[in-house]
Amino acid sequence: MLPVAWDTEGPQRVLAVGHNISSQANKVRAPRRQETLEMAEVKVKKETNLSDPAEVENRIKELCQQFPHGITDQVIQNDMPHLEPQQRAMAINKLLSLGQLDLLRNSAGLLYRLKDSQSTSKMKGSDNQEKLVYQIIEDAGNKGIWSRDIRFKSNLPLTEINKILKNLESKKLIKAVKSVAASKKKVYMLYNLQPDRSVTGGAWYSDQDFESEFVEVLNQQCFKFLQSKAEAARDSKQSPMVQRNSSFATSHEVWKYICELGISKVDLSMDDIETILNTLIYDGKVEMTVIAAKEGTVGSVDGQMKLYRGVNAIIQPTGLVKTPCGLCPVFDDCHEGGEISPSTCIYMSEWLDF
Amino acid sequence: MMKQMDVLDGLEKGVKDVNGGRNLGVSKDGGTIECERCTEMTAQEVRLCGLLLREHFGEVVEKVGTHLLKSGAQNLRTIIHETGLSVDLVKKSLCVLVQHGAATFSSGRKGPGSPTEYHTSCDRILRILRYPRYIYTAKTLYGDTGELIIEELLQRGHTTMSSTVKTVADRLTQNMAEGRTMDYNEVSSTFSKLVETHFLQRCPPLPGVGNKDSSAPSETPATPGTPAAPVNTAPPTPESFPECYKVPSVTLIGRGKRQLASEDGEEQRSAKRAKMDPETHGDEGIYWQVNFERFHLHFRDQTIISAVANKLDQTSSEIVRTMLRMSEVTTSPMATCTKPLSANEIFRSLPPSYNILRPILDQYLTLLVDDPMEFVGKAGESGGGMFVVNLHRALANLARATLESVVQERFGSRSARIFRLLLRKRHLEQKQVEDFAMIPAKEAKDMLYTLLSQNLVQLQEIPKTPDYAPSRTFYLYTVNQLPTARMLLQNCYKTVANLIERRLFETKESKRLLEKSQRIEAILASLQASGAEPEQLTEVEEMITAPEKQQLDTLRLHINKLDSAENQVDETIFLLESYINSTNASS
Repeated sequence: MLPVAWDTEGPQRVLAVGHNISSQANKVRAPRRQETLEMAEVKVKKETNLSDPAEVENRIKELCQQFPHGITDQVIQNDMPHLEPQQRAMAINKLLSLGQLDLLRNSAGLLYRLKDSQSTSKMKGSDNQEKLVYQIIEDAGNKGIWSRDIRFKSNLPLTEINKILKNLESKKLIKAVKSVAASKKKVYMLYNLQPDRSVTGGAWYSDQDFESEFVEVLNQQCFKFLQSKAEAARDSKQSPMVQRNSSFATSHEVWKYICELGISKVDLSMDDIETILNTLIYDGKVEMTVIAAKEGTVGSVDGQMKLYRGVNAIIQPTGLVKTPCGLCPVFDDCHEGGEISPSTCIYMSEWLDF
Repeated sequence: MMKQMDVLDGLEKGVKDVNGGRNLGVSKDGGTIECERCTEMTAQEVRLCGLLLREHFGEVVEKVGTHLLKSGAQNLRTIIHETGLSVDLVKKSLCVLVQHGAATFSSGRKGPGSPTEYHTSCDRILRILRYPRYIYTAKTLYGDTGELIIEELLQRGHTTMSSTVKTVADRLTQNMAEGRTMDYNEVSSTFSKLVETHFLQRCPPLPGVGNKDSSAPSETPATPGTPAAPVNTAPPTPESFPECYKVPSVTLIGRGKRQLASEDGEEQRSAKRAKMDPETHGDEGIYWQVNFERFHLHFRDQTIISAVANKLDQTSSEIVRTMLRMSEVTTSPMATCTKPLSANEIFRSLPPSYNILRPILDQYLTLLVDDPMEFVGKAGESGGGMFVVNLHRALANLARATLESVVQERFGSRSARIFRLLLRKRHLEQKQVEDFAMIPAKEAKDMLYTLLSQNLVQLQEIPKTPDYAPSRTFYLYTVNQLPTARMLLQNCYKTVANLIERRLFETKESKRLLEKSQRIEAILASLQASGAEPEQLTEVEEMITAPEKQQLDTLRLHINKLDSAENQVDETIFLLESYINSTNASS
């Protein structure tokens, strides 16, 4: 803890005492070494801090280095309790404007963090506005950010924003990526980042076009695989439980099969295959069950495995659709005595003569 | 076979015991009276009922029947006044309708003294569409004898056992080889079997039968003897009478009579003569009718069994068939599921041709329970496992498959994918529909809007702000199975009506030709009977030219196609009606 000699009566007083203390502190440094060494350093440094703002800044920077996650106002205050809030604020602002400190906010309050020296060099030559825009884009991360959103966040006029964006693009710091959801919209993100799946659409989109034939082919291949497995199981004539279990295929097996088939230029993940299998479920050709699987077995996700199986329809096409009326596009307009009526129906005539 | 019966024909086929002419009070108000009893009838149903009545009973009955359908319960005077027909014709039409169970009568709403009111319901008339299916089922279950018994009963509505047995024996004898006749006993035994399995039931005694004093409807169990008591509005069901399925002891000894060729033309009159046959057999006054509900249960079971066979395999369907057979008489028609059956019982009741071992049976049962369709459920562990067949759930699944199949055939497999997706996931936004179904955005939008315009898919708005601004509202697509099923059912009725009308149109077009061919056939038959030479026969046959013959063949083909299409649509109607009724019962 602080020695009793410290008191806050007046700076002068403290200075005098400080000198004494420092000599004392030097003497007692050795045994106190095990204790907080920083405390000794603090004592040494603190006396000079009061006069020199640069020292304050350096001190803050060192604190930041010690706490790489960031320091709060409270830490600085604890460290330099005599420092007035004004001076502290001045020092921090200076550091911020120099671009050496990052201002963040978390649930507890404001955080100051030492900025990566590498990134500071990038922004040399750019003015504050550009830095601000760059920071906003960086915060958007993978998903990118739309120019209108940048405008909201930075409160800069549109012309300025455009100029800055062009500038940054020429410097190869950011890039524009076309979003698949709205084809006219461009989102900006840092140059070296991979765009997120929601923007590019993932494996099913190539250059903003949905690849329907690719999906169809995959659909058919998966179905054929599951169907042949089910047939093999049915022909094996074993006990019904074994038959049913062998007709199931895990999503992992299907994924492996598709990868080996090599029909896909793009690498498909197991999630992609599961979306394809889901479309087969919605076609009514396949059913799925989930079983608990031991962690570590191949293909299990969170202790579960999804099993898929080819199935048959439970009824034949229903009677209504075997008549022309069931498929008639003008069914609602048809009534006896009207222009469209059962007696004069051309669909019926064709169907009867078939 | 049963078409083209006109009013008089229908009357001659055994009109019995109807109190049609009893109460001829004058009604005070002549306007249309709404009946509180009648269920909603849509325009399509009324149209279809009209067509069916016209085909089976003639135009007069059609007029009276549709009038009653549209305006609810009315008394005789009002009907006469509003349809504009003569008293005689109206009375006879009402007789026909009551005879076939299509109309019921009861004391008027003002109390026991007011004139009788007549009331029809759509359901009974729509059953006429299903007569071929009933007859075919009886044939598969009980052979030709059963087929003819059911046919007789369907044609006549209500008859006694003795008259049915005699007529059926005569008909069977007609078709048998020379010298052989059908014994009444065989027919009686088939009749008893039909009654034991509840396919036939006794008609409930009519209210006020034999009671000339019209003031006390004391037969209806709900009302006590007080004259001021209001009339019980629900007619008593046949099953509320304890002797519903009791076969009377009849003395029927004899064999079928073969009709000689000379009596051919007198068949009509001989039918009348049989009616006035003075022989009594001990069962006077006991009339039988076909129990449609039982047939419907049978059809439902058949559909479930074939669905299981399609989905799983033959053995599983046999197991389900056994379970359903065991629960035939113990399950009430509106039950959600059958009574629990233990695995031991099922094992014992399996048909002996299926040699499955007990553990294998257990495996099959487990698989049936695990199946996502949930046809079979497990209700307990005693006796090796108690299993039930989930009837309502099976019906819901079958109705759902019907809806999906309609969408698939009508709009294509991708629209079907969207439809199934919405059935599963209930509510989805447009973007989500595109993502899950993996259909490009433009096409998905198009398909969704088509389905929406056909009312197969509904839109649910969820506003973020109270003013329902479109940019700030969620629009979710959804499918409701029950209303969609009702809509499709109405479409089915309209389709059947269209098919019938087309058939009548085609017949009318070729009327001249048909009459000519009928005349020629009659001439041929008479020539053959009187023993003519072959040249005369060929000469007569050549009166029909070749193109005319071809036209006749095409016509026959068309009519058959339309007929079979009606039956196929009726299958869909049956499924959807069963599903809708099951939801009514459980709600």
